[in-house]
Amino acid sequence: MKDQVRRLDAEYGFGLTEEEIELIAKQAEAANRLFKPLFEVDLTGVMPLMKVDRRPDAPAKSKKGRK
Amino acid sequence: MTPVALEELTIADTARWIRKRELSPVKLAELYLERIETLNPALNAYLTLTKDQALTAARAAEREIRRGKYRGPLHGIPFSIKDNLAMRGVRTTAGSKILAEWVPDFDATAVTRLRESGAVILGKTHMHEWAKGSHGINPFYGTTHNPWDLKRVPGGSSGGSAVAVAASLCMASIGTDSAGSIRNPASLCGVVGLKPTYGRVSTFGGVPGTGGHSTNHFGILTKTVEDCALVLQAIAGRDPKDALSAEAPVPRYARRIGKEVRGLKAGLLRGYFDDDVVDEVRGALGEAAKTFKSLGMKIEEVSIPHLHLIPAVQTATSRSEGMSDHEIYLRTRPRDYSPGLLYSQIAGLLIPASVFVTAQRVRRLICEEFEQALEKVDVIIAPTVPVPAPTIEECRKGYLERDGRRTALQDARGNFLMLCTIPFNVTGLPSISVPCGFTATGLPVGMQVVGGPFQEEVVFQVAHAFERKAGWYKKRPPLAELER
Repeated sequence: MKDQVRRLDAEYGFGLTEEEIELIAKQAEAANRLFKPLFEVDLTGVMPLMKVDRRPDAPAKSKKGRK
Repeated sequence: MTPVALEELTIADTARWIRKRELSPVKLAELYLERIETLNPALNAYLTLTKDQALTAARAAEREIRRGKYRGPLHGIPFSIKDNLAMRGVRTTAGSKILAEWVPDFDATAVTRLRESGAVILGKTHMHEWAKGSHGINPFYGTTHNPWDLKRVPGGSSGGSAVAVAASLCMASIGTDSAGSIRNPASLCGVVGLKPTYGRVSTFGGVPGTGGHSTNHFGILTKTVEDCALVLQAIAGRDPKDALSAEAPVPRYARRIGKEVRGLKAGLLRGYFDDDVVDEVRGALGEAAKTFKSLGMKIEEVSIPHLHLIPAVQTATSRSEGMSDHEIYLRTRPRDYSPGLLYSQIAGLLIPASVFVTAQRVRRLICEEFEQALEKVDVIIAPTVPVPAPTIEECRKGYLERDGRRTALQDARGNFLMLCTIPFNVTGLPSISVPCGFTATGLPVGMQVVGGPFQEEVVFQVAHAFERKAGWYKKRPPLAELER
């Protein structure tokens, strides 16, 4: 994980110290442990919850009657 | 002129006096501004006062009402606005150093709707840096203090808003809630805090990066449930400027206020936070259940099979969504975040897309489970925060003592103080926090009443019935010494 943080540091130019890199890597590892059980759930046939809004405010375009 | 004790005023009462011209909106605004001048130095609820704008709005309200053009129950009512909602011509920092000088040239839709209702906006309230926290200690703008005990935090991230309402420095405040940021400080400060259904209130004009796109809500802090309903009436509804705002019709929210709740069913939510809730909070919830029963409601326990995965879903969702707004600042001004927030932002960059999408699949399961539970009961009852307000010192150290156990405020599950509120950010269900008791040391305890999607009317009905029966809303913070 530390290597991933170092790569981000180089890409974004954070200027992290070694101590900071270690701290962030620990946080990311803890997050990974938190996320692990998500992959243990049987999600067969379960689609992600993604709200896709239609845009009702766009006026309905009808060519009928238009010149 | 009606004699005015600001601590006792509710919007419902004040609106009647204003309408009958027994109370002047200008006089009211002046009284609040005086009180802010007296108390704000100790409480630090307001970051920016908009005195001139407020008095101009109050004078306009007075003129209109005198001419018979009364706009409704918010006409002439003093409000505050959390500092992550854009207000034209007013500095809007989002509690951050990065936006310290940002002055928007537009209003958030909620602000526009308040102005159209004739509300008087007194100023912008303190908040956590980028709304990412739950105590109210801000490294750039100072610490907001809990009016029930100045050594304690008010909660957050809408801490300034909750303090402003609790200390009678405004009658209502608009806050935002991405993980509990309205309900948490409402609970810790002993006021009412509503996070409506996702999409119910437009989030246009919210500072990007102060909440996950699918978890963030604008909401309301007031002293009473009825006041909350009156404010929601004014700010709810579809907004063409917010693609995610809901088209569902806006009912008359106060319609069921005062209606009997006998025969309604409340489900007591049990789950992963059971062990985190301290005895005094559990005791207050137990007493609240008895109050519901005395009102003729039925209580049963409800459980949500995948509830324990809520912290993972919330973290994966809100951190990933937030990244899209923070990317630019992380590349250009990383050291203008406080160190702690910078580290968690960088850790957020490491969340894989597969985690985000899997979290959204689990989220669907959880939403369906709540839907099934709400087919059996009318509302769900849950604690708002596992503990009463921690001390500022505890929050600075990062841990607190909980029934003799040392507890980290931030652990693998995320923010300890938000564990009870995040289920309703993940599901988008409407949730109101109302005071449900006090600890032996005089600190308020809050309880959530949660309804089905767009069922705010039922939430208000049940919360109001409880509020009136229990009577906790009558208690006021001990501010006499500061008032002298």
